[in-house]
Amino acid sequence: MISIKNLHKSFGHINVLKGINIEVAQGEVLVIVGPSGSGKSTVLRCINRLEVPTSGTVIVDGLDIMDKSTDINFVRSEATMVFQHFNLFPHMTVLDNITLGPIKVKKMSKAEAEKLGMGLLSKVGLADKAKNYPDQLSGGQKQRVAIARSLALRPKAILFDEPTSALDPELVGEVLEVMKNLATEGMTMVVVTHEMGFAQEVADRVIFIDEGVVQVDKPPKEFFINPEHPRLKDFLGKVIVHG
Amino acid sequence: MAFNFEPKVMIESVPMLLKGAELTIYLTVGGLFFGFILGAFFGLLKLSRSWIIRKCAGVYIETIRGTPMLVQAMFLYFGLPMALGFRIPAMVAGIIIIAINSGAYIAEIVRGAVQSINPGQMEAGRTIGLNAMQTMRYIIWPQAFRRMVPPLGNQFIISLKDTSLLMIIGVGELLRTGDEIVAVNFRAFEVYLTCGLIYLCMTMSIAKCLRIIEKRLQMRGKA
Ligand SMILES: Nc1ncnc2c1ncn2[C@@H]1O[C@H](COP(=O)(O)OP(=O)(O)OP(=O)(O)O)[C@@H](O)[C@H]1O
Ligand SMILES: [Mg+2]
Repeated sequence: MISIKNLHKSFGHINVLKGINIEVAQGEVLVIVGPSGSGKSTVLRCINRLEVPTSGTVIVDGLDIMDKSTDINFVRSEATMVFQHFNLFPHMTVLDNITLGPIKVKKMSKAEAEKLGMGLLSKVGLADKAKNYPDQLSGGQKQRVAIARSLALRPKAILFDEPTSALDPELVGEVLEVMKNLATEGMTMVVVTHEMGFAQEVADRVIFIDEGVVQVDKPPKEFFINPEHPRLKDFLGKVIVHG
Repeated sequence: MAFNFEPKVMIESVPMLLKGAELTIYLTVGGLFFGFILGAFFGLLKLSRSWIIRKCAGVYIETIRGTPMLVQAMFLYFGLPMALGFRIPAMVAGIIIIAINSGAYIAEIVRGAVQSINPGQMEAGRTIGLNAMQTMRYIIWPQAFRRMVPPLGNQFIISLKDTSLLMIIGVGELLRTGDEIVAVNFRAFEVYLTCGLIYLCMTMSIAKCLRIIEKRLQMRGKA
């Protein structure tokens, strides 16, 4: 589904990614963890070319994102992203936030898009908020709307960049719940998160990125129970202590 | 010589002055209409990724902002005809001057407003598959436009007052009309005072409308 080979990315003369290799199969849930500044967001952003890789190849559903003939807007709608700070469109109602993509990108009729949108809002438990504006929602509700907005594109994969990091602790659960349901339904997901509980429960594989490369790539059982890698041990010690 | 204030002169001059004020409004509205188009265009050029394009927009903005409007008006109306061999009608010249002038300031307003929108909005637009133009049109511009309303209203008032400079090229706007009345009745005190009051009425009305619009915008969902 997503294939990243020897991905390098530098900002100026800072080399952030130094040869990343990741394969994500269809329906798989991949969790990425790593210290702050290790390049987790950059990897995600390279997948749909919000950031242009310096070198390497990234294939999304058979399309090479570096190839000039690839319609990058199409790829983005196929592997769409959910952000830490939601980035909902504040001047539009919740429902309009969700239908914009289907109408403009997927050329769906307004009626059809709204039907789809209402269905997705019910799915994330927010059907009654359709006519509200984003600033009338809590953080957890905003993130659920953002997930519905992504789902409205009927994507092949969703990339989550710390989707619960900006939320008050009591709101984290409702968002993780929605994500768990997606995973159960077979959505391909790449999730950067500090929620180790989620990783243990939902992930098919967990990846530890540090110093610009993938240091560990294992199923969650082995990843957490038996961390041999010294830096991972160190990292896990810190996150688990700090919650 | 004793000065005696004659309120009657003020009242008598009002009908003619209002005719002038009508032209003032046409100049302002016409000038700002084209000024907004120019401003939006050059403001967006200022945000281009290409430094050459940014530079071109910068040259326009700096030139207009760096020279007096009076000089621009005299050059356009009296200077250019020497090279072109014909003179554009004064009213058209007036609208052009207001347009290019307000355009330069509006360009900065547009640039500032667009830049003030969180870059996350552009990314969110792109990640749902919109292209850069669509993201601008449906996501960035509507939000930026709301932020432009107060400074645009301010520019409206400035441009309205600036139209008085156009008397120099013979446009029969409010101040010019007053000037012509004074040439006949020599009552400068009353006539110019009346002009001033009419300008004040107009600018205060604009300010009032602006406050209402701002309130309305605030009520519908914001950031
Ligand atoms: N646009 C940019 N320009 C310059 N440097 C950047 C840019 N984006 C990221 N970086 C740098 O790249 C490095 C990796 O950033 P990235 O955001 O991918 O890390 P991260 O693992 O997601 O960290 P965090 O856990 O804090 O989100 C950081 O040192 C960051 O300063
Ligand atoms: Mg990050």
